[in-house]
Amino acid sequence: MMSLNQEIAHATHLQEADLASYVINATKEVFDTMVMMALEDSYPLKEPVTSFHCSVTGMVGLAGTYTGILSIHCPRSFAMRITSNMLGMDIDEVGEDVNDALGEIANMLGGYVKQILSKGGLDINLSIPTVISGEDYTVNSMSDSDCVIIPFTNENERFLVGLKLRKEV
Amino acid sequence: MGNVLIVDDSSTMRKIISRSLRQAGLQVDDIYEAGDGIEALSAMEGKSIDLILSDINMPNMDGLEFIKCVRAKGVSTPIVMITTEGGEDILKEAISSGASDSIKKPFTPDQLNEKLGGLL
Repeated sequence: MMSLNQEIAHATHLQEADLASYVINATKEVFDTMVMMALEDSYPLKEPVTSFHCSVTGMVGLAGTYTGILSIHCPRSFAMRITSNMLGMDIDEVGEDVNDALGEIANMLGGYVKQILSKGGLDINLSIPTVISGEDYTVNSMSDSDCVIIPFTNENERFLVGLKLRKEV
Repeated sequence: MGNVLIVDDSSTMRKIISRSLRQAGLQVDDIYEAGDGIEALSAMEGKSIDLILSDINMPNMDGLEFIKCVRAKGVSTPIVMITTEGGEDILKEAISSGASDSIKKPFTPDQLNEKLGGLL
């Protein structure tokens, strides 16, 4: 099973379940207020997921006293549904609008994570969001063991929110 | 009534803010948009802007630098930050640079009304 390492737990005074709970609540709040969607979560995910098929991934990096990546991985159909709800118009292709919407969701979730890790906001920087999409791709980073991945569902469609963290000196 | 300039690198967020202003029942005339601080400075030229809503974390020129540029020009238009940044120090820096207030993303139309009602 995946987990955040003990160094993160010690530094943040948060156990993995606490951090996961924070990400779950943040994701539900973002989707409730900005996407107008109610989500169900099914934490924990038993096995890491690094390969994606016909999907869109939005990511934002954290750099400073902690480094890491907050990511959201959605099937294309769900990414288009998210974007349609956010823009209030029908979206039927993965393009600029979908990329922007997924990037902004990652950005908002990254802001929540930064808030619990940062002392005042100046010791951690959030990157500009990055979005990738494709038929088949894999996402790999520092270590597959230092992560929390949370599955969410809405109307039988599933997507993942992942958080990888490392404590810097 | 007033003209509003929305500065955010996300076009989706600019549309959400624009829609939410009207849903909140705020008295808005024209809404202008810019994707970063540099675009915003250009967008302000020759226009009467009554309220600026700006993100902080943007490429090219971020929200903090943008506020400093606006105030350096002697422009006193209220600037409210709408941002994912919730840290006390970064918001203090925004206020000391000349921002009037801040709103945390995600937000509801009611929260916009509460924060912006007195400015429009």
